[in-house]
Amino acid sequence: MENNFLEIKDLFLKKGKFKLNILSLDVEKNEYFVLLGKTGSGKTLLLESIAGFQKIEGEIIFEGRNITNLAPEKRNFGFLYQDFALFPHLNAEQNIRFSEKYHKKNEKLFNDLINFLQIENLLKRNIKNLSGGEKQRIALARAVYSQPKLLLLDEPLSAVDPTMRNEIMKNLKELPQRYGLSVIHVTHNFREASYLADKLGIILKGTLLQTGETDHVLKNPNSIEVAKFLGFKNLFKIPLLGFENSHKYFSIDPNQITIAKTPINNDYCFEGIIEEIMGITDHYKLFVNVNGNQFFIKTPKNIFEKLNIKKTEKIFICFNKKDIVFI
Amino acid sequence: MKKLFIILSAILVLFLTLPLLKLILGISMDSYLNTLKDTEVIKSIFLTMKVSLTATLFVLITGLPLAYLIARYDFFGKSLLESFLDIPTMVPHTAAGIALLMTFGTQNIQGFLESIGLGFIDSTTGIMSAMMFLSAPYLINSAKEGFKNVDIKLENVARSLGASQFETFIKVIIPNAKKDIINGMLMMWARGLGEFGAVVIIAYHPMIAPVLIYDRFVNFGLSYSAPVAAIMIVFSVIIFLSIRWLNNRFNRY
Repeated sequence: MENNFLEIKDLFLKKGKFKLNILSLDVEKNEYFVLLGKTGSGKTLLLESIAGFQKIEGEIIFEGRNITNLAPEKRNFGFLYQDFALFPHLNAEQNIRFSEKYHKKNEKLFNDLINFLQIENLLKRNIKNLSGGEKQRIALARAVYSQPKLLLLDEPLSAVDPTMRNEIMKNLKELPQRYGLSVIHVTHNFREASYLADKLGIILKGTLLQTGETDHVLKNPNSIEVAKFLGFKNLFKIPLLGFENSHKYFSIDPNQITIAKTPINNDYCFEGIIEEIMGITDHYKLFVNVNGNQFFIKTPKNIFEKLNIKKTEKIFICFNKKDIVFI
Repeated sequence: MKKLFIILSAILVLFLTLPLLKLILGISMDSYLNTLKDTEVIKSIFLTMKVSLTATLFVLITGLPLAYLIARYDFFGKSLLESFLDIPTMVPHTAAGIALLMTFGTQNIQGFLESIGLGFIDSTTGIMSAMMFLSAPYLINSAKEGFKNVDIKLENVARSLGASQFETFIKVIIPNAKKDIINGMLMMWARGLGEFGAVVIIAYHPMIAPVLIYDRFVNFGLSYSAPVAAIMIVFSVIIFLSIRWLNNRFNRY
């Protein structure tokens, strides 16, 4: 049997009315795994469960060993909270060195982290006087200095000044190779996810709906919920296209729809009534009703103006099969 | 409205401070000096402070874990337990003294306590238990508030960095609740210094300061008891204010 680095099976946790239910989640060695989900989708609870802060049902296997009921201090996973949770009674350096009493002191690693995160001038500072980005780097250094095999990051960039974000994202992306660890990073930010993730998981309402290679997941949602969450537009049932296949829904990119007064040579053309027209600087947004289904179309300004059409008029909307995403 | 509030406040502030000022300033230097030379008085004041401190330290060791459990966990009967802990602050102190006497003053327990060199009736152990019974809630409640204000995330992070639950308690939770804990200790200690009703029922001797003040008042009158009272107040206030000042100065982050 193949042994995964981290393996989660049938994880279940109930907090008040909220239920977290993760059937299966695998993370590999030196992998950067991003969990993408809305606020309140259970991302933080899942990370806390992996770290051992929450009592759960199910199984967590790490390097072939069942760690489901292992105390957090024996797991050696690094944890970085959204608000960093630096110890207020210690200065920056003391915060970073906190794990020294429990793991080996490692000056080489300490100096490397200071260089890597550029925090030398912050070391003696009271943590109360640090900015969000500075706190973040201290907290990251503190977590990595404990030499974890797995680093758990809870929305690590949300409390960081936007101008600092790119810098820190570059640092984060380098972590697995530089320090030989795997990362699970939870966020609601698509840009973070697509830049950082080797693998991506989509979590909504306490359930992990889809995991896979980042590009694949972003382009091929496997359910209507994921498609909606990822911002796919024009989600309709397949029979509208006049056939059925193993999928239930399809989506068509609003930019890939052509409008015309008479049917054109595309795979599909539907007649509909224009319900709304919104002019944006360089393009128009159109909402067209086709037999009770409202299509959303983005069309360039020059094309739209040539057609000279108005609200409540009839129009053909056309698109090709190659642009359809089946869900 | 502000004017009315100032007037009303002034009435209360005067009422609260005037008797203390009158007591402290109304005594001649001579009688202060004479009282300070009276070894019975000094001994009694130090005994009071020492016994109250012992009671406070005892509750520090047993009460911090209790306060932490209440602050951190939800369990069956928690609010009932919290109400029980507050009862001592509501009962008449003499009634508390009677209850303690009935519990620990019985032949068996008194005998056992004497056999291990502690005793109960007319002993410092009895005085300590009276102070502890009536003042412990101040320390427990203050520590509880302190613990509640320590973010559980700090605890989680400390554990993930390798600290056990106990190490986390000592190295992260206590330092971050220190200010409330010290304030609670001060409150408990200061309340213990003034304990009379329960102590006088359990132990007239050795005489703690409040009993001595009463004893002198009954046997010799006001002019003999007032200087003792004044010195006790001055000593307590000096210690109280300096610890509180240090606490506020060094525990700001």
